[in-house]
Amino acid sequence: MITSKVSKRYAKALLSLGKEDGKYQQYGEDLRDFSSFYEQNAEFAESVSNPVFSLEDRKRILNFVLGKTRYTETVKNFLNLLLDKNRISAILGIHAYYEKLTDEVANIARAEVITAGPLDENARKRLEKVLEVLTSRRVKMTATEDRALIGGIVVKIGDLVLDGSVKAQLKGLKESLKRGEYR
Amino acid sequence: MVRWPYRPGKFSFFFVLMVAGCVLLSGFALAAGEQAHGQDRSGDLRDLLYRFINFALLLIIIFWVMKKVGIKQLFVSRIEAIRKKLEELNRGKEEAERKYRELEKRLQEFEAKRKEIIEQFKAEGLAEKERILNEAQSRVEQILAQAETTVQQEIEAARDRLEGEVLALATRQAEEIIAREMTKEDQDWLVNDFIERVGKGH
Repeated sequence: MITSKVSKRYAKALLSLGKEDGKYQQYGEDLRDFSSFYEQNAEFAESVSNPVFSLEDRKRILNFVLGKTRYTETVKNFLNLLLDKNRISAILGIHAYYEKLTDEVANIARAEVITAGPLDENARKRLEKVLEVLTSRRVKMTATEDRALIGGIVVKIGDLVLDGSVKAQLKGLKESLKRGEYR
Repeated sequence: MVRWPYRPGKFSFFFVLMVAGCVLLSGFALAAGEQAHGQDRSGDLRDLLYRFINFALLLIIIFWVMKKVGIKQLFVSRIEAIRKKLEELNRGKEEAERKYRELEKRLQEFEAKRKEIIEQFKAEGLAEKERILNEAQSRVEQILAQAETTVQQEIEAARDRLEGEVLALATRQAEEIIAREMTKEDQDWLVNDFIERVGKGH
């Protein structure tokens, strides 16, 4: 997802509020919850973000939903502000960037792990530990499976990519042969 | 140059002499005629005499008039004019001859120049022919070299293409074989090996 300048600006503003009162993680959870709801309910998203509907109607709908939640008042006000400024449709980008900012504040590195087969718990823990040593940060992993790797594992942390897949090794071998390194 | 053969004084003298001669000869002829026929022809003689006198007077008047109007001078000037005209004609002839000689000389020069130009053109033509032949030869060599390079490049490209295709096929088959033969133990070994290498790498 491409995070726009607007999303970054709003995410930074909310984080600065969270850091002041020490609730930035709570705000992050609220934001995650709301953005997930927003993403999964297309009708709701349409009704609050479409300017064809009047602002009062859209506010009424948003506050009705927010009334059913236990979000902090700050987050509720933040979401109302987004609606007033007609930026509610940028909530997914704001949430993505907010998570990135909170990870930096909490010294957390998010690792995306892709394996050709299921990753057992033992291996998962050992990998987490090794990656924490590597990045000097606490690592939060999300694991997915991709049969196209043939075998092995790929780890992505930010811009760092560690590719231990059979597919990548075969590709490297092919390139070496093409360059004539084995002649 | 043409000259009048008589002097003006002699001309007058001869003229008068001629007139007198004519009168005498006529008188003799008349007298002879009378004697022959034996008739009295004195009236006719007198008439003839008058006629002569009349004719002589006419001649004298004509002579006098001609002298008065300067016929001599007229003839002299005419002679002079003819002489000048002849001189001019001579000069014109000389001029024409000179021009003729000049033209002839120029014609000869032109002929020489023409031959020179033809020779020069021939030499230039030969040089141009030589240059074109050399250039064509050079171009042929260039084309041959270029063709050789192109052939080599094509061979190289074809070999690369073939190698690429063989490699792609080999890689694809290797992937299929490995994927087919891959077991859970192999996957676990690969993951553990990766974890160890990342750990060691740090």
